[in-house]
Amino acid sequence: MTAPRYVTAIGILAAGGVLLAAPAVVSPLEHPGPVAPLAGPQDQQQRVWIFELTNPTRRPRIGMPDFVAPSGDAELREMATAVAEVLWADLDFEQEFYMIPREESASIPSAPTAATIPLERWSQIGADFVVLGVLERAGDAVSVRLQLVPVRAESNQGGQQFGYKYGPCRTQAPRACAHAIADHMHKELRNLDGVAQTQIAFVSDRDSERVRTRPIPNSGTAKEIYIADYDGANQRPVTANRSLTFGPAWSPDARTLAYMLWEPGLPETIVLNTLDGRPARRLLPEDGYGNQLPAWSPDGTRLAFASNRSGNTDVWVVNRDGSGLRQLTNHPASDTSPTWAPSGLQIAFVSDRSGGTQIYLVNADGTGLQKLTSDPGDHDRPTWSPLGFIAYTSGAALGHNISLYEVDTGRISVLTDGLGDNGSPSVSPNGRHIAFKTTRWGREQIGIINRRGQNLKRITTVGTNHSPSWSRQR
Amino acid sequence: MTRTQLFCRRSIRGGAAALALAFAAACGGNPPPAAPGAGADPFPGSPSGTTSTVPPPPVDPATPPPVPIEPDLITADPYVDMTVDEVNENSPLKPVFFTYDSDELDDQARQALNDNAEVLRTYANWVITIEGHCDERGTPEYNLALGDRRALAAKTYLQSLGISASRLHTVSYGKEFPFDPGHTESAWQANRRAHLVLTAK
Repeated sequence: MTAPRYVTAIGILAAGGVLLAAPAVVSPLEHPGPVAPLAGPQDQQQRVWIFELTNPTRRPRIGMPDFVAPSGDAELREMATAVAEVLWADLDFEQEFYMIPREESASIPSAPTAATIPLERWSQIGADFVVLGVLERAGDAVSVRLQLVPVRAESNQGGQQFGYKYGPCRTQAPRACAHAIADHMHKELRNLDGVAQTQIAFVSDRDSERVRTRPIPNSGTAKEIYIADYDGANQRPVTANRSLTFGPAWSPDARTLAYMLWEPGLPETIVLNTLDGRPARRLLPEDGYGNQLPAWSPDGTRLAFASNRSGNTDVWVVNRDGSGLRQLTNHPASDTSPTWAPSGLQIAFVSDRSGGTQIYLVNADGTGLQKLTSDPGDHDRPTWSPLGFIAYTSGAALGHNISLYEVDTGRISVLTDGLGDNGSPSVSPNGRHIAFKTTRWGREQIGIINRRGQNLKRITTVGTNHSPSWSRQR
Repeated sequence: MTRTQLFCRRSIRGGAAALALAFAAACGGNPPPAAPGAGADPFPGSPSGTTSTVPPPPVDPATPPPVPIEPDLITADPYVDMTVDEVNENSPLKPVFFTYDSDELDDQARQALNDNAEVLRTYANWVITIEGHCDERGTPEYNLALGDRRALAAKTYLQSLGISASRLHTVSYGKEFPFDPGHTESAWQANRRAHLVLTAK
């Protein structure tokens, strides 16, 4: 077994982000600073992905014991355990590897070096690789040395071993540390853009506040924008308007959230929130028109949205600074709920111009209108995946499902299983997962499912939650 | 202003004479007779300082016929001292109901809006918001647009009756704030509405 070759040069990345006092916005995002590989294999150009040579029908089986930290350092050992647990879950999520359940390997002791790993024990439970993770303090920060150790000599097939040192991590943020490692591993080993460092924004009424913006006795429960890590951790509010907010949409650089806000006496309006404690600003001047359902262009320069400014609801496009407002669709029917193609050249939207709501396509300059769907039932909330399909809400008045429309072939498949009312899909940035709203667990909650309809996960449990939007990585 | 005075100055619709009598009585068409020994001197000119022990002659208990109050003499705004919230708690503005998936105004809808226009003409300083609401069927996104259409339909009709657009704001709440949380047709009917609220006066 060849020893891993570590480059000793270290590039320390500056910790970014500052916690700002936020009088108007509750709990702005904390940026722990980017965690990245500090050192790795020297010969990056000729790196062989170690899994290329294994059986393509069988995913590599990876075992992950607890990570290792110096025995006198209880805080670091606790962090080591947390990092390993979260990393296991992150790798398991994408299903590129078969992660051996940690209960199955719980009796196999962790080893502090590759040479001392009890490979025979791991081989008995069918592991192809074992993750060696070693945490060390470096001043205020923590580094994680991680290595994929092959269990049998032939597992590696002569390729380089995967080994990197990651940092700077912080003891207060083990999850962020694990997420960064997971994304790097997925990129290096599978050429996959992982989602471990992404977030999901959604609408929640869990604060149970009474709406202050309607002057009637029974004004209703306020709905605010919340953010969660993609795995449901760290759920925290973005707004505290005690009003109705709806339809959050992440900008492509994941630094701005657009959403609809209802203020007293005013029509629904679109605001942009830069998540840094400054108040959200209106996208358009207040002019008495209702603006709904913002959708960012893939290059982040424009937003498409629905508006009644023409006298009926049409799709409009505007630059993110509010300039360049132009009308995209022009029809007496309601055209709404736009979504951009990943190319930025087309926009899909919903229209009831032919009776029942169907999905249409138009070029970003307004030409080339086509109808995409004709199947029965009302469709809504299309969202375009970079993997070439459009997810949308489909079906009857109650009890909708998420369907997928394959753009190249026009083929439609139903993603969800008919349990409860399912809708409002939002696709992960790598296109492989869909966040959505579902009532299958009782009240409206956010769930995640992969594009094959498997691996359903529940994200929210408190209050009523809906209208998810999945960010890219910052 | 006391409650009695406020009550007296309420504008009278319909002009029922009996109602006018009742108002007149409550508003005190004549002051009640002074009780004996109450301090008023019933015999002006009697020697000062002396208190007469002769009871005053009984006053005829029948009060003179009251003067009917004519409606156009009552012009004060009974809502003038109320807050916007208080007005909305007992609002003279009527909701407008719609059939499923529709923004069309039927006869009852138009009648309700006719009445609302009358209120808005009477209180010419009122600014209202017309909220568009939907029942729970259909997606939240679709219902945002439908709510917009319902609010706009009500606004357009009020404008056609002469109410200035600057007094009529619209907002859609889609299906987010149902008036009836039930899942029956009667609950859905109650939720398919344009709801008018006072926002400034």
